Amino acid sequence: MEASRALFIPVILGTARVGRMSLHAARLVTGELSKCVGVETDLIDIAKLPLPTNDAGEAIKQADFSANMSKADALVVVSPEYNHGYSGLLKHVLDSCLKEYIHKAVGIVGVSAGPFGGTRVIQNLLPVMRELGLVTIFWDVNFSSVQKVFTEDGRLLDESYIRRIDKFLKELIWMAKTLRQGREQISLD
Amino acid sequence: MAAVANTDKMICPSCRVEMNHHCDKLVYTSHPQDAGQSDPNLGGIIEEFHTCPKCGGGASRHA
Repeated sequence: MEASRALFIPVILGTARVGRMSLHAARLVTGELSKCVGVETDLIDIAKLPLPTNDAGEAIKQADFSANMSKADALVVVSPEYNHGYSGLLKHVLDSCLKEYIHKAVGIVGVSAGPFGGTRVIQNLLPVMRELGLVTIFWDVNFSSVQKVFTEDGRLLDESYIRRIDKFLKELIWMAKTLRQGREQISLD
Repeated sequence: MAAVANTDKMICPSCRVEMNHHCDKLVYTSHPQDAGQSDPNLGGIIEEFHTCPKCGGGASRHA
């Protein structure tokens, strides 16, 4: 394994809703990831992916998204909770790839206007991640009452989230390194 | 027809080195063209996943 290769950990913003507060959470996590030594990141906004809706799954694979998922060593998915679930568009986007995800780590950031910080959407995403071949970590970040966490222009009002994100990212990076070693060096046979 | 394990190593198209076979996944498909490749004991197709130890690139194939 070439240890000098940086880890690539993109952040997927899982909503296209106008006025989405999850954008602020995604930008914050992306910013914290960019401070990590040996890690490259990018913010992938699913609202900007030109996926058709007259088909689904790998039949509508989008080249740039697929390339980013192939290059990734781990993912962060930032998802708002809509009626206890994730957005249909997020599922549509995630389903467009499969082999790109296998044996890669994923951490989930839940966002909600209510007090539970997206805990239910995280629970609903876990089986989806598992079936896609992603390996979930046991740290989450929960943005509760997100309208009180950020100003309208995205300034963080509660600095305690920085420490939570730091713990979340440390676990995700450890898993990303470990799974890279496994993918590249440890044979199934 | 039962699927037969492919024992040939995959070669990374970029680095020309042997890739590491690190995962088999059972895939269910409704495509008629895949019907003959289904493993009768497992009820689906085994997809192998391989990663290049040099560049980290991935590839897959039916077992």
